[in-house]
This record gives sequence, structure tokens and C-alpha cells, in this order.
Amino acid sequence: MYFLNRHTLLISGKGGVGRTAVSAAIGLASSKAKKRTLVLEIAYEEGSQSALGARFGRPDLNEEACPINDFLAIGRLNAKAGHSLFLRTILPSKTLIAAALRSKAVHKFLTAAPSLHEMGIFYHLLTLLQKTRSDGTRQYELIIIDMPATGHTLALTGLPAILLRLIPAGPIARALKEGQSILNNPELCEAWIVTLPEKLPVTEALELVDGLTETDVTVGGMILNRMPPDPFTDDERAALDAYCDAEHFFGQLTLARIRAAKVALSELKNRFDSPVLDLPEVVDTDLVTNPLTAYIGELMGTES
Amino acid sequence: MNPIQDLILTRKVIVCCGAGGVGKTTTSAALGLAAARQVKNVLVVTIDPSKRLAEALGVDRNPERPIPVDTTGLIDQSSTGSLAAWMLDPQLIADRVVERFSGSNRDASTLMNNPIYQNVTAMVAGMQEYTAVQALYEFIHDERYDLIILDTPPSRDALRFLDAPERASAFLDRRIFNLFVPGEGSAIRRMTTKLLEKVMDVSFGPETRRELQQFFQLFGGLLSQLNHNQSEMRRFFGGQDVSFLLVTAPTSAALEETQFFSRRATEELQLHVAGVILNRSLTHCRNWKMPDTDRIERPDPVLSVAISKLRQFSLRERHLMEGHVKLKADLAALSGHGWVYTLPHLGPDASTLDGLSAIADFMTDGEDDKNTK
Repeated sequence: MYFLNRHTLLISGKGGVGRTAVSAAIGLASSKAKKRTLVLEIAYEEGSQSALGARFGRPDLNEEACPINDFLAIGRLNAKAGHSLFLRTILPSKTLIAAALRSKAVHKFLTAAPSLHEMGIFYHLLTLLQKTRSDGTRQYELIIIDMPATGHTLALTGLPAILLRLIPAGPIARALKEGQSILNNPELCEAWIVTLPEKLPVTEALELVDGLTETDVTVGGMILNRMPPDPFTDDERAALDAYCDAEHFFGQLTLARIRAAKVALSELKNRFDSPVLDLPEVVDTDLVTNPLTAYIGELMGTES
Repeated sequence: MNPIQDLILTRKVIVCCGAGGVGKTTTSAALGLAAARQVKNVLVVTIDPSKRLAEALGVDRNPERPIPVDTTGLIDQSSTGSLAAWMLDPQLIADRVVERFSGSNRDASTLMNNPIYQNVTAMVAGMQEYTAVQALYEFIHDERYDLIILDTPPSRDALRFLDAPERASAFLDRRIFNLFVPGEGSAIRRMTTKLLEKVMDVSFGPETRRELQQFFQLFGGLLSQLNHNQSEMRRFFGGQDVSFLLVTAPTSAALEETQFFSRRATEELQLHVAGVILNRSLTHCRNWKMPDTDRIERPDPVLSVAISKLRQFSLRERHLMEGHVKLKADLAALSGHGWVYTLPHLGPDASTLDGLSAIADFMTDGEDDKNTK
């Protein structure tokens, strides 16, 4: 059983490997298992379109939690929300809060000063991770974060350590330590790396494992996305190789890709100790009917 | 004339823009090699190359200065052309600026010891792009190079790089800096500074607040020089010696991206956009055949079954190829006077020196009538 025994999943990987599709599919599968689930993406630019929201027919998604079904909500982390949540917690008086939130200088400082942009996103995430219901249980049992591409992911997971060196005390330091107690606890949080069954993406995914490990985040496993189906027997493949040797034929690129994908999968399994899940290539982009969701449900052990 | 060849021979700086993951760094490096073959002394400035490409170019250990690429077997040895590569190190560039332009040695060393400064390039959005422009400023005044090829930082938006000076200067804006530094000024200014101090004190604690203020005070002093360099680069970017290239891949976003890029770059920023490189394209497969059981000489049941299974993939590949051909035409229509040049997908081999050499061949030999395997 994968994914369901954690509280937070960081879905990472380089651009274009299908992080958002995988995050959304895990979220949907988890909600089918009746887990209160929240899938989050990170808005680096205000007002940009939501790739996650688009998967659910809500490209304008710009809120903390937008319900999709009884158990699933999707949301968007942004720095501004984090900043105002933070100012509300730390400033001693309502007048000061109002003045700070109104001040253009404070706003410019928060968006432009070193790391404070990331800090805002981090703080927004922290408040959602800590959100509880009236009976004291967690508002969300599983929070899945569609992380930004490699560099930004490491900037975010490495943020607490860097900032704590600069700011060892005070409320920011407290928030950073609380964040660390969740994100760096392998019982609560795992990163999963999405990659493609090709040589370079596999190498880069292994580098990302090292990067995440350096920032004390546990990597739960890898998801090898878009594994091409292989309908050929060994004999048939050999016959086709001979056939394509003399001339160029349409279809030979796919043959090469199937072969490369197998090599990549076995290399990844050799060089990486944690689970490697391979997801089939799907053409269907509709999430609900998409076989990916059912497939991930099977991996979770919630569907058979 | 081949448009890429023309570009190589007539420009002093070529800036390669493009979204992340389209093969921009590989294209930049191959362009450098193609130019070195044309007897140019070329410097390729890469930003965040894949480990393999960095190793191939010899820049994986973050050298302080550009280092020559071993082109034995790649360039005619009697030729005077050469290729050097350098990987952008934002902190190094920032340190040089501090050393050169600080008011005194004492100011420079205080600033370099300030913990906020030590993390500034890692933490300020746009700092990577900002220092890339700064590095270019140094290299264009270096007579060793006839041509500099600048790979831009990876981002979802190909134009991030062009905006970077503005975005970084949102942070590096002197007026903002002044707000953090206690001092004279109008009553409103003093009140704002007090409010900020209060917010910073409760957020960071007084010690970090003082470090921040020290950083702002000392770094602020360098701003006028930095901004001068940036605006000089702006003018230089708009000049005749510089061309911009958009590197894109055949995705659904390619058209929109190109349209946006051309409009922003040419109309708003008045830059010279030479053309679009459509990377990883299948247009080279135009003359490939469909596999067909009728063409087998001797009856072969295994092969017949295999071919009938292959057929669905063949149809899909042909369909993709047709899509790429159409995309190329659409891109050409969009980019107005610019050209569109297609390059094939070389897979993982693209990041080796031999791979770069093969791409360089494609760049100068012409894009048509080549089959790839």
C-alpha cells in the first residue's frame, strides 16, 4: 500500500514529467478511499493560470481550498496569503496589523526581500498542515503538494535550514521549526519523484533524490510515468529490428522508445532502493475516466 | 544562406531564450561549436546545465573563469576558431561587483561577511538573471571572444530573462532600500521606516533586523553602479550586434509561446529576434515509409504479426510528424520576418560532445533531406 499512510506527500520532479497529473490522480484515488484529501499547487506568480485547477475544470483556481467532492479539495499556495496570515499572528495590535497590511512599503519588502517570498508560501502551507476540525482531528488527512520543478523544490525544502541560520529566534524561526517537524519527519511526510523512462530523466531524478536527502526530506519512492506499453514478443522485436535496419520506417522511434524505457526502468531499480512504480502512458486527459486514477487506486490498495 | 550560419557570422552576442526542458542549453552549446567551426572565438555562457552536459563541456566544477573546451576531432585543427565555456556562478559575480564598487575595502569585507549578503544570490528572485546580465557585461568587453552565446536561466516563461533586471530591481530599488535604513527624511518616511522596523523586530528579532539594515545600507551604495551597468546592457541588447533566439519544442504551448515572445521582444522591448529553433522535431522523418507486410520478400509469419502490431505506432508517428510540419508552418507565419529552423531529437546522446557535434552539423548543413535514426 502506497501513499495513504502519510500525512503529507511532496510530488516533485523536473518540468514536463507529469507531476500535476500524478498529484491530481493520487488525490482523486485517495478521496475515493474516503480520506479527507487536499491537493495543493504553488502559485509563483500572482494571477497565473492554475495547471492543477485546469485538471478539474477550474483554471482560475485561486483559493485555499476549493471542494471537488465530499472528500477532495484542491487549493493554491501563495506568498501573499502566507504573509498576511503571518502578520496577523505576530503583530500585537489590530491597528498595527491593518497598517502593515495596507503599507505598500511592507508589501514591497515582503515580496522583494531575500527569501520572504518562499517564506510566505511556506507559512501558508504550514497553516494548512496544522488546520484542525472542531473535534481536534486534522482537517485534511492527506495533503498532496504538486511541487515546483527541481530547483524551486529544493529552494523550498532547504528554506528552513538556510533561514534558521540567519534568523535563529523569533516567530519566523518558530514557524520554520514547526514546518521542519512535519516535512522532515519520515512518519508524516514523504517526497515522491516523478520521472520518465528515459536515460537522462532517470539520472536527473537520482540527483534530485540526493538533493532532497540533503534537505532532510525522505524520498518515499519514484514514479516512472508514461511507461510505453510493449505488445511485442522477443522474436517479433528481433524480426522488426532486422526489418528496420535497411530503411527508415514510421514506428521505429516507438520501438527504440520501448527498448530505452525497459533499460531505464531496470537501471532505476538497480540504483534506487525505495519503491519504483511505473505508470502506463495514457492518452485520456479526463481525470475521472482516466485509467491513471484507477491504477493509482490499485497501488494504494483501495481498488482491486 | 542558411539563417543560422548567417547569424553566427554577423553577431557578437546571441541570447538563447526558451522555457525549461526544451533543450536550450544543448542548443546553445551546439551553436557555439558550429560558430567555432566558422573560425570564430566563441564563449558559451551556460546556466544550470545538466550534469552530463557540464561534464562534457568541462565546467562541472564551477570554474572561476571560462575554460577552453577540448575540441579535438570536432574542429579542424588548423582552424583558428575556438570554443570556451563558462557556467554562471551568481555569488562569484556578486562578489566581484562588491569588490570593485564598494566605497572602501572595509565596506566590501563587512558586506561580504554579512550573513544576509552571503545568501543573497540564492534567495533573491531574479538574482540569477541579474548576475547573468552582469557577467555578460564583463565578457563583451573581453577581446578574446568574437561571439558570446548566452544561455538564459530555465523558467516556464521564455521571457523571464528579459524582465529580470526589472524584477531584481524591485528588490534592488534604492528607494525601497532607503526605507530600511534609519535616517533623515519626511515625517511619512520616518513613520514608514518605524513601522517596518517594528514588523522586522517582531518577525526576525532585533539582531537579524540589524544585519538586514547593515546589508541594505552597504549594498544600497552599489546600486547606482549596478543599475548603470544594467541600463547600458539594455541599450546593448537592443543594438545590431545582438540577436535573440527562441528555442522551443513541439508541444501544444509552442505556438502561444512564440506569439507572446515575438510580440514582447520585438514590439515592447525593441529587441532583434532572429528566429525560432524548433527542437526535437520529427519533420526530418518526412520521407520515411509505412511498414507493410506486402513488402516482405519471403513469407515470415513472425514478422507479419510484428508489422501488424507496429502499424498503430507507425500511424501515430506519421501523424505526429504531420503535426510538426504544420506547426513549423504556423510558427513561420507567426514570427513574421523571422525564420523557423528545425532540429531532430537526438535523445540522451545530445549531451555528449559527439552529440553536440551532430547538432552543429544539422545547424550548418541545412535542415532538409536528412534522415535520423
